[in-house]
Amino acid sequence: MNRMSRHELPVVPTANLVDIAILLIIFYMACSNFVSQQGAALKLPRANGLEKLSEPLVLVAIDSQGAITFQGRPVSSAADIESGVAELLKDKTTDEMRHVMLRCDAAVSRRVFEPVLNAIVQGGGIVVAVGEKTGEQP
Amino acid sequence: MYKFPKKKMLGQDAVPTTSLADMMFLLLIFFIMTTTLTRVTGIVSDMPAGSKAQQPQSEKTPMISLHDNKITMNDKDMTREEMERTLKGMKLEQKSGNAKVVILATEGDVSYQDYYQTMAFIQNCGGIVAIESEEEGGTK
Repeated sequence: MNRMSRHELPVVPTANLVDIAILLIIFYMACSNFVSQQGAALKLPRANGLEKLSEPLVLVAIDSQGAITFQGRPVSSAADIESGVAELLKDKTTDEMRHVMLRCDAAVSRRVFEPVLNAIVQGGGIVVAVGEKTGEQP
Repeated sequence: MYKFPKKKMLGQDAVPTTSLADMMFLLLIFFIMTTTLTRVTGIVSDMPAGSKAQQPQSEKTPMISLHDNKITMNDKDMTREEMERTLKGMKLEQKSGNAKVVILATEGDVSYQDYYQTMAFIQNCGGIVAIESEEEGGTK
């Protein structure tokens, strides 16, 4: 036996490694959501009792400089958001399909975020305001 | 007469798969680095649309006004804690329809953090947030 081990190195079985890797890749591909990275540099507002949400198809973001993006594209005013939201939601019937995600920096002034909120509501959307949880529900 | 091609030696036509594992691991590392598995948290607020003139609110509709560093509820100055206590005491979760509506107005310089915190609290108390914002020639 000692003679055998001197000549043959122990072999780690790696034949199934590729299968495991493929399974993991499929898992990560299914769970990935690249669109959510939009506006990743934002400092989100914090509040108590926030709920976990699924990501809607319509996304509006406002960065710390007050720059507004709609579906990843910069827009000049809230009026563009109202027309854009109305256009995207025109065939949507259920409440869930009318969700519009608003990612806004915590430091943004009301002169910037309030017209955007109004535009989403006037466009027929239900506001899904994203934030970070701080504690327990009241 | 058809002649069957001669059988080649086993393994001669095999697809080389030795580098497959390396490629798979590169892809795996890429997805691990770029994936965010945490779900977003926030509040869902179905704010009533329309202007004040079209949908007149009853006088009893509570109104919270944020201005600079002050909070006013029904024209009475109060701290955030007092406002939260008053809202909780209203038992909005037990009400229905328009009785659940709380108007959230802003004046002066208000940050989204303050607005969001108030909006989240109204939602958690079972209320429905209605925005009141300035518009040319009036409020919306």
